[in-house]
Parts: sequence; C-alpha cells; structure tokens
Amino acid sequence: MNLTPEQQELGRRNFLRVLAGTPGIAALGVAAATKGPLRGGPVRLGFIGLGGQGRVLLEQTDPRYADVVALCDINPLQLQKADASLAKTARPAVKHYADWKEMIQKERLEGVVIASPLFTHTDVAVACMEAGLHVLCEKMMGIDDASCRRMAEAARRTGRVLEIGHQRYYNPVYQASYAGIVKAGLLGEVYHARLVWHRNGSWRRKAELPSPDYDPAQWGYPTYDHLINWRLYKQYSRGHMAELASHMVAITDWFFGAHAVAAIGSGGVYRFKDEGREVPDHTYVTLEYPGGRDAVFTSIESNAFDNYYEAYYGTKGTLILKGEVEAYLFEEGAAAGAGKATGVAVAPKAGPAGSASESRAADAAGAGRGVGAASGGVDRLVSYRLEVSGFCSAVRTGAELKCGPERGLGSARACIAGFDAIEKKARVEIKA
Amino acid sequence: MDLTPNRTQETALIVLRTLVGWHFLYEGFAKTLWPAWSRDGAPLARFSSAGYLRSSTGPFADLFRGLADVSWLPWLDHLMAWSLLLVGLGLMLGLFTQLACAGALALLALFYLSWLPTRGVYEPGAEGNYLLVNKNLIEAAAVAVVLVFRTGRIAGLDLLRGRERAQPAPPVAEATR
Repeated sequence: MNLTPEQQELGRRNFLRVLAGTPGIAALGVAAATKGPLRGGPVRLGFIGLGGQGRVLLEQTDPRYADVVALCDINPLQLQKADASLAKTARPAVKHYADWKEMIQKERLEGVVIASPLFTHTDVAVACMEAGLHVLCEKMMGIDDASCRRMAEAARRTGRVLEIGHQRYYNPVYQASYAGIVKAGLLGEVYHARLVWHRNGSWRRKAELPSPDYDPAQWGYPTYDHLINWRLYKQYSRGHMAELASHMVAITDWFFGAHAVAAIGSGGVYRFKDEGREVPDHTYVTLEYPGGRDAVFTSIESNAFDNYYEAYYGTKGTLILKGEVEAYLFEEGAAAGAGKATGVAVAPKAGPAGSASESRAADAAGAGRGVGAASGGVDRLVSYRLEVSGFCSAVRTGAELKCGPERGLGSARACIAGFDAIEKKARVEIKA
Repeated sequence: MDLTPNRTQETALIVLRTLVGWHFLYEGFAKTLWPAWSRDGAPLARFSSAGYLRSSTGPFADLFRGLADVSWLPWLDHLMAWSLLLVGLGLMLGLFTQLACAGALALLALFYLSWLPTRGVYEPGAEGNYLLVNKNLIEAAAVAVVLVFRTGRIAGLDLLRGRERAQPAPPVAEATR
C-alpha cells in the first residue's frame, strides 16, 4: 500500500487520538501495581506441634492475617487441646495429621508454624521451605550450629520467609525500651547485662498416655516420658539455654547491636538428681560481646524469688525489663528506689500472662511472682499475636521480619556455645 | 457561541478528563479489590460505605444515615464501587464519554449532598474548612466542562464509535485538522 506523507501523518494522528487514554491507563496500572494494595487473603497456615507454645500461637493467630488450615501433632491429646483452642477463639475445627510430611503434601498451605521439639526444627523447617512453604519456627532456631546454618541457608536458597519465634522483638515494652531508652542513649555505655530466669520446681511434666496402645517408639522416642519431657534430655534439647536464655540473648543482641563472641559456663543437675534428667537444673553462663561487654545468664530451679527479667547496666542508667510486661529505668547515681520507673504502658493489660508458654515461670512449681500481676504493663500475649501477624505480613507483602534467620542464628549460636561451655567446663569461642 | 476548542484547549480538556477518570477509576479499583493487603503489611477490610454514611452532614444527613443500616447496603457498596470503576474507565479511555460524565456527575452529586458543608467549620473526616463549596462540587464542575465540550469527539475510543454513526461531530480525519 502506498500512502502519501500527508496520509501517513493523518493516520498517525487518528491513531493517537483514538488511543489517547491508553498512556493514562498504563500509568495508573503501573502506579497501582507498585504502590496500591496487594491482592490476597489471609495466609493459609498449618501448625506443626501443638504443645503449650504451639497452642499459644494458635490462639493468638489473628484470622484477618491467617487461616488455620490444618494441625499436626504426634500426640492426639495435644490435638484435642488445640481443637479446644480453636473453639475458644470461635474458629472452626480443622483437619488433624500425625505426620507433618503428609500434611504439607495434602493441604494447600502457604506457610507453617513449627512448635515441635528443638531437635526436629531443622529437618521440618528445611523440608517445608524446600516444599515452597514459608516458616515461622519457634525458638531456639536449631539444636546445634550446623542445624541453624542449614536453616538459614535453606531460607536463602529457597527465597522463603523464615522467622524465628523470639516474640520479644514484637513486644511493645521491648520496642519502646529500645527506641526510647537504648537507642536514645539514656543508658550511656552498657558493659553489663544480667539475664535471670529463676524458678522453684522441676521442669518435669507428668501426663497420661493418650491411649493404652499408644507407642511413642513409632515417633523415635524410647518412652513416653522422653516424648513429653524432651526438654530434659540432651539428644532433644539444650536445656535452659535453648528454652529460656535464647529469648533474653536475642534481645541482648538487639540492644547491644552485636552477637556474642564467646561463652563461659558452669552448672549441672544439682537438685533433681533422681529424676534421670540430663540437662542442668542450675545454669550459669557468661556471654562475651565485642567491646568488653558481657551478659550473665542464670537459671535455677530452686528459688523463684527473682522470677525473670533482663537488666542492662549503663554508665548513665539501668534498664530493667521484668516478666516481659514491665520496664523500669533508674538514673545512675540516684538512690535505689528513687529513680524513674517507667511503666511503658502501651496497651491495656488483659488475661493471665502466666497461661502462655512452655517456658513461663508460672509453669514452675514456685509459680511466677509478678508475672500475672496487674501492674499496668502490656498483655504479654500481644507479642505472640503481633509475631504471627508480622510473619503473615512478610509472607503476603514482603514486610520486614523482626527476627529473621540472621538474628535467630546469632542468638542460637551464643546459647549453643553456652550449653557447650557448661558441658566442657571451658570457654567456648563463637567463630564468625 | 462557538464551543469548538483549539488544539491546546483540546489537550487541556483531555488532560482534565483523564485526571478525573484516574480519580474515579482508582477509587473504584481500590474498593473492588478484596481481599487485599496494604503495602505496609496489614490486611484491608472490605469496603463499606456505612461509616461514611453515618457521618453524613447537611440537610439530607438523616436520609443518608438511614442508608447505613439497610440490609442491602452490601449491594449498594458493590454498585458504588463498580460505578466508580466503570465511570473512571469510560473517562480515561474516552469510551461512552457522555454517559460516563453523566454517571460521574450523579455520583458526585450524591457525595456532595451526603456531606453538604453548611456549617463552615472543620468537620471530622474532612480535609479542610468548607462552606458550601468543597472538592466534590469542584470536581463536578470539572466533569460538567468535560461533558459540555463533548470530549469524546476530541480523543478516545468514542471516535471509533462516532465514525459508524451519522452525526454532526466531525469525522476523525477532520477532527485532526
């Protein structure tokens, strides 16, 4: 076809006039795709491990953020309790599994919440990530250094979200303390932190067999005692360091802006010698940080007077974070008791704080002094709720995690080194 | 009166139509997109006009407030969202432009009447201080300009429709001048 230059110009103009709205539509499309809302519903979650900690996370899962699709536990009694948790929060019952592999294969999941015993974390988390699922894994990250690194590497390789469940990162008291006190420099230079988790009573639990023919051996446990008291045996657990210290060390890493470089420890089974437990019932570990700083963690099962707290001693002031719900700031030089005590009351308190976790002071025979006291602090359970919601936000929108693999790894390595230091009765260096 | 605009005026009219269309289209898109999450990681609630209606002001406030509690409000919300979306699409593409302008005027009239600023003081939820004239009314005036200049004959997909009809509007070739 031969068109004159005039015809070509006319045709071009006609074309542009007819499609005059197209650039605007395209621009709006780009703007909406990059800045507008993201399509997507609640994240479809499966839960693996429905012991006390798993059920707290289950109850604190906000239905606006996540749909609980399936539950998995090798213990039918825990699944029954989980059903009650769902009912308590007005959510429908969901399908049960005993085998997590079957669950992730059969259910259309986007993510899993892992709250199984420590020694299982790595295998389950890595397999889930390799199956394309995002993972919120309870603390501590893994049972040893290599396991933790395997998890971090799997997250990098698969591009899946991996969050480690140090819920204090989401706790409004800790966030306010970090932003308003630590980061603001109100403590001056902090060389020493004291991390205390003292209880009075045995960690051992007693539970009935789910059924007379229940065989724990099918899940790799020689006895039912091993299954329910896995925290007490070294093949499954790292004792106080994993279950208690890791939370406090994670926060200390955050406040210090560094990870520990060495651990010195002592401790042992001093009180409950006749129970057959393997992990210490008294733990004393000093973690060395760069710059001459240290954090001293103690956990005893013979006196609950101190209960649990983190204290940061600076050249200008002292910050005490007590029971996850209260914060106190004392100016250096002021008489004891005359310092500024800040409630950091950022949310109304509700519910019994002691009802939450496997590792709560209230679980010990001595019960937690002050843990559930109506002291004007925040509801400790809020941090669990925010943690699960934050994980879902990261899955759906790419929002930044508060405790991703790097933070989880740093805290875990320090606690593993602390456990090893007790075992070896030696100073253990944590190599980069 | 000669309403035939020159090229610069035509361009200004099309830009005005596009901007109003963008506003409507995105409002409709955001209201129909559900379930959805905000960029900062929070799930968004499904659109409902109930809150807006309950906060109505002006002489027709009772009427609009009453609508907030009707059982068919979800249908009304759907209708509103899709109306916004279709009107916006029509204005941006220049397709059924006159109809889209009429729809835009109708919607803006509803918005204006439901939040008629008669008190002249800051109302909670408003962006500023208004007395009788607010942004809804100004946008309605802009749409009226787009309507009376029959911008569908200047640019947009209506030009393709126009060629198939016998009408006084200039054909595409002429329209380019």
